[in-house]
Amino acid sequence: MSTFANEKDREESVRGLVEDQDMWTNKVRRKFYGKLPPEKLLPDRQPAYVSSWIYVFGVLTMSALAIVIGSGLLLALEGPSWWHNSPEGLFVNSLHLWSVELFFIFMVVHLWGKFFMASWRGNRALTWVTGVIAFLGSVGTAFTGYLSQQNFDSQWISTQAKDGLNAAGVGAFFNVLDFGQMLMWHIVLLPLFVIAIVVLHIVMVRIRGVVHPFPPKNANDYPADDMGWTGRYRRYDILKEGSIAMTVVVILTLVLSVVFSSPDEKPLTLQSWAQTAPIDFVSTATAELSGTAPAARYGYPYNYVPGSGQKLGPFSLPSIFGVTIPVNPPLDFVMRPLATIANEPNLTNALTQFRSGSSTVQSKWEDNYTKALTKATVVNGNVVTSPGTYGPLPVMMNSLLKMADSGGLDASLIAGSGFYGTNYTKPLLFLADGTYMANIAQKQHLLGTQWGMMNESGNFPGQAWLWLYTFWYQIKPFSTSTNADVMVWATMIFLSGVLMAVPFIPGVRAIPEKVKLYRFVWKDYYRESESSNKGSKG
Amino acid sequence: MVNIYLSAVLPVLGAIVNLSTPGDYISFGVISISVANFVVVVVMTVIFIAAVFLPFPHRKEEGK
Repeated sequence: MSTFANEKDREESVRGLVEDQDMWTNKVRRKFYGKLPPEKLLPDRQPAYVSSWIYVFGVLTMSALAIVIGSGLLLALEGPSWWHNSPEGLFVNSLHLWSVELFFIFMVVHLWGKFFMASWRGNRALTWVTGVIAFLGSVGTAFTGYLSQQNFDSQWISTQAKDGLNAAGVGAFFNVLDFGQMLMWHIVLLPLFVIAIVVLHIVMVRIRGVVHPFPPKNANDYPADDMGWTGRYRRYDILKEGSIAMTVVVILTLVLSVVFSSPDEKPLTLQSWAQTAPIDFVSTATAELSGTAPAARYGYPYNYVPGSGQKLGPFSLPSIFGVTIPVNPPLDFVMRPLATIANEPNLTNALTQFRSGSSTVQSKWEDNYTKALTKATVVNGNVVTSPGTYGPLPVMMNSLLKMADSGGLDASLIAGSGFYGTNYTKPLLFLADGTYMANIAQKQHLLGTQWGMMNESGNFPGQAWLWLYTFWYQIKPFSTSTNADVMVWATMIFLSGVLMAVPFIPGVRAIPEKVKLYRFVWKDYYRESESSNKGSKG
Repeated sequence: MVNIYLSAVLPVLGAIVNLSTPGDYISFGVISISVANFVVVVVMTVIFIAAVFLPFPHRKEEGK
C-alpha cells in the first residue's frame, strides 16, 4: 500500500516546502526524482517491442559480475596459499575463472546486440559510451586478475606485459611484476571503477529507457528516437528476470567449475631454476654481472641506458617519468646477495679479488667465463668449466648457485622491496633473462609469437578478449619494429576511442541500419505493425 | 563437517574433464588460437545468433 494517498501527494512531498527549495538536499532530491522516479528505476512495464532474447544479456552480464565479485571476495579474504593448496580454494578459484568467462561472453553478446540495434539513438550516446568504458575497464580488471594468480601463467604474462606498459610510460607507476600491487588494483581500485561505471550505465538505461525500433515500413506518426514510446506496452517483471538470470548463471558457473576446474601451474623460483637448469642460471648470472643481460640494458623505468626506450614518432614516453623502479642487475642480482653470505672465506677472497680488478680485467674474466660456460658440466652441484682465466668468477657464481639452490636468493631479491611482500620485480627480471623460463613458456604456447597473451596453460580458455591486442604483434610493421609495443598501444588506444565514439562517426553509426539485423531482433514488432499498416492502407 | 565433505568431493568432481593437458592449437597463416579460446568464440557467436533469431516467448500485452 502506498504511503501517499495519490500521485499529487508524492510530488508535493518530493518538492518539499517552498522555503526549503534553495537547500542542496532539496535540489538533489527534486533533480533525482525528476530524472529517475521509482517507476523508471524499477519498471513493471516495457514497450511491447521488448520481445527478444537479446534483451536478457544485460542482466545476464550483471549476474555473472555478481558471482565474479562474490568469488573474488572469498579468494581475496583467504589468500593465495588457500586457492593454490586447498580443494575448497581451488574450487572457488574455478568459480571465479568460469564466471569471468561467462561475464565476458554475455557482455560481448550484449555489446553486439546493442550495436546492431543502434542503441545510441535518441540521446543515448552516453549510455553506449559508459557501456564501452565498462567493457574496457573489465578487460583491465581481468588482466590484473591474471597477473595476481601467483602461478607460472601470471609470471610469464607479467614479464611480457611489462614491455608494452613500460613503452607506453605506464610501467613507471603500474608495475605488473609487483603482484601485491596488481592484487590491489584487481580487488579494489579497478572493481570500484567498473562497478561505478556499470551503475552509471544502468542509471542511463533506466533514465532513457530502451531505444525504439527503426520505423516500420509505411509507419505513420512514429515517435522520434528521443521521445516516449506511444505504442503498446507489456508486463515486464525486472526483478523476476534478474532472479532467473542469476539462477541460470549460478548453475552454469557451478557446472563449468565442477566439470573443468581451473589451471594452476606452479610458479618458477630462482631455487627451481638453479636446481633444474644450473648452467643456464650461472650463464645468466654472469651476463647480469657483466651488464650484458637484457635487464641491465633495459632502460626506463629500471635504469638509465642512453638511447634505450621505445619512441612514438619523436616522443619517448618512458623518459617522462624516468627511473622509478631502480634495478641494478650486477649489484642487485649478484654482488649484494653474495655479500650477505657469511663464513665463506673463499667467497670473501673472491669478492675482494673481483672488486680490486679493473673494469678491463673484470670484462676479460666475464668474457672468458661466458665462453667456457657453453661447454660446462655439473659436478656435485657445481658448474665446472675447463681451466681458463676466469679470475674469481667460478667461486662467486657457484656460491650464488648454492644460495639460489637453498632458496636464499629468492628471499634476498624480494627483501626490502617496499610495502608489498610480493614484489617480484627483481627475481622475475632475472628469471626472464635466462632461457629456462622462455623454454617452459614456449611449451605452454605462451610466447608473443604464439599469441601467448590470450592463451592459458593447458587446454583452458584464456583472455580471448585480448585477440586484437595480440594480433597486431603478428603483422608488419609491428612485428618488425623496434617500437612495436608503443605502436600497438597507440593503435589500441585509438581503436578504443573509435569504439566509444561509434554513435558520432558518420558511416560507422549507419552500419546497423544498412545491415538490418535489427529486423530479426524486433521481428514480432515489425510483423505485427507492418501487417496492420498494410491492412489499414488496404 | 561441510569442509570435510567438500575436501573429499571437490577434487573428484574437478577431475571430470582434465584440461590440464598439453594445449591444442589451430594455426592458419599468422593466426594461432587455442582450441579452448576457439570454442569460447564459437559458443559466443552461436549464442548471439540464437538470441537474435530464436522466437521469444510472448507475454501479455496491453495498451499504454
